[in-house]
Amino acid sequence: MEGFSYAWSALTTTPAAFAAMGGVIWGILGGALPGISPSIAMALLLPFTYSMEPIPAIVLLAATYVGAEYGGSIPAILIRTPGTNAAAATAIDGYEMQKQGRGGEALGISLVSGVIGGMIGLFCLVLLTKPLASVALYFTPPAYFSLGILGLSVIASLSTGSLVKGLMAGTIGLMIATVGTDPVSGVNRFTYGAPELLGGIPFILVMVGVFAVSELLVQAGKPETAKSERTQMTIRLPNWAMLRRLRKPQAIGSGIGLFEGCMPGAGGSIAAFMAYNEARRWSKNPEEFGKGSPEAIAAPESANNTVAGTALVPMLSFGIPGSNSTAILLGGLLIHGLQPGPLLFEQHPDFIYGLFGGLFVANFSLFFLGILILTPAIWLVNRPKPYLMAAIYALIFSGIYSIDNTLFDLYLVLIAGAVGYVMRLLGFPFLPLVLGLVLGYLIEANYRRSLLLTGGEHRVFIEDPISLGLLLTALVFVIGSGWRDYRHAKKDREAAKQDDGT
Amino acid sequence: MRILTRDTWIGVVMLIVAAVYWFEASKIRVSPLDDGIGAAGLPKVLAYALGALAIILIIRSIVGALMFGAPTEKAEPKKPAVEVWKPHLRAVGMLAIGVGYLLLVSWLGYIITVALLLLSVSLYIGAELNARTLLVAGIGGIVYHLLFVEFLGIPLPSGAILGPLLNG
Repeated sequence: MEGFSYAWSALTTTPAAFAAMGGVIWGILGGALPGISPSIAMALLLPFTYSMEPIPAIVLLAATYVGAEYGGSIPAILIRTPGTNAAAATAIDGYEMQKQGRGGEALGISLVSGVIGGMIGLFCLVLLTKPLASVALYFTPPAYFSLGILGLSVIASLSTGSLVKGLMAGTIGLMIATVGTDPVSGVNRFTYGAPELLGGIPFILVMVGVFAVSELLVQAGKPETAKSERTQMTIRLPNWAMLRRLRKPQAIGSGIGLFEGCMPGAGGSIAAFMAYNEARRWSKNPEEFGKGSPEAIAAPESANNTVAGTALVPMLSFGIPGSNSTAILLGGLLIHGLQPGPLLFEQHPDFIYGLFGGLFVANFSLFFLGILILTPAIWLVNRPKPYLMAAIYALIFSGIYSIDNTLFDLYLVLIAGAVGYVMRLLGFPFLPLVLGLVLGYLIEANYRRSLLLTGGEHRVFIEDPISLGLLLTALVFVIGSGWRDYRHAKKDREAAKQDDGT
Repeated sequence: MRILTRDTWIGVVMLIVAAVYWFEASKIRVSPLDDGIGAAGLPKVLAYALGALAIILIIRSIVGALMFGAPTEKAEPKKPAVEVWKPHLRAVGMLAIGVGYLLLVSWLGYIITVALLLLSVSLYIGAELNARTLLVAGIGGIVYHLLFVEFLGIPLPSGAILGPLLNG
């Protein structure tokens, strides 16, 4: 009841409800633009949250995530180009329905399934976050250090392609986090006389650079040559019979979304494809899958919208972001001086329940805004790419300048963009870099605090049972993913040898 | 057989980065307020970690190439060097436009520079130089100025040249 009153207060005394709706609109538009992932849409908003109060600021970012998960399905259905990675599964049958003249119906199914999935995800978030966070009340500095290591190892182990490159990216993120004033002695590190670097490199600059600017650099390498396919559409909501038919795939999608969202690193894409496969397996009409089945849209859309809620569970409980989007959300929390974990519930219950209230408004308004915004979203999808890219570049420059009113930050963003571009080129994942950056302080401060308390004894990290458990879990993740990498590499080479032989 | 793969070179570059970072970390001042680890402690550990990872990558890539042959990049038809480098050069050009914006904005002011940015990026990514593109850039500049300067109150540079005129 107390939580409800906090949520109500946040929605009525702060602009959180407007932020929720604004975030959903921005998310739908951003998600609808191929190349603009939910994390990029959120990163573009980050600079504007600086001057906002914490609750509306974080609600704005979280609502963007909610909106983008639905927005991604619009171009997936209309032009077979998923706006987000998570919408790739929707494109399969969504575009088939569009070709059959049922695109409006596909969009309606996507919207309704997204809203249902989002509400289920929010319910699970409210239910799971506090009990999990209370476990963290027993955390000591060594345990916090080990938690940071676990956060890094989990993501590095789930980095696509190469474990070593994932760990390298995490290490580089930690290196960037050491720039600025040392937290213990106050000595300057790697500042080279630049006063702008005394406070460190704000992670917002790195996030916007590696996610948004690097995407623009990639797009610059692919100049528009052909006119894109232009479409127009009116949404058609499913009738009762259809809603009854969709109950099972929606339940499957939401169940998978719940599980995958709570697992750091899994994310909406994996959940969407798993939901697609499971829905086909349990369907009465599996032969329709791939040929325009409504169930094949309902399952992945429920899954990725459930993930948008449940992915916040590990982030709010332990401060471990499991995806790019939640890493940016974590960045937003830290910008406002909010450290995720049990103390967040103790010290800022108004924030937590305000966020839950804002997410409820976001998911609820997604239904109406999804219908209202469809026409502008389609208009935006049809705009020429050069104008869109130019507008985003200008938005980045203007938004970043507004943080500290200095051009120095813009140079840093460009450098981060160039680094992000090179990372894409060489197959380095972004998430470990961002995590190293945002977890750097937690890791260093608790490492040094632990050693101060024990007179420099490193044994403390294995004597503390929680710390030991976390370190062992981290080890399991690293070894497991190393083994997975080895098996993949072996398989690839064997396949290549067979190709050479034939 | 090609032993040095792309990953080998990435490992070598990372090893150099680790060495330079360690060298810079060793120059961090020792403070009387330092704890046992010191301000340079973590940076040095990170340098060692990156170095170790780089060595692992180098060894793994060389051993992999010796045991199984180099990765089959050759399976794709070989593109001319110009084609391979073109997207990267275009990315550099995009960065150069950004740097140009930063150099000009203090002189020309936000409204003009952002319009120039919109125009140059649009043209660079493939828009035709016509009235529509000019109009989009011009109106875009005004919209951005109204949004950021007038509505959000952000003191974006008014410019050394036009600023005095605009500010009276």
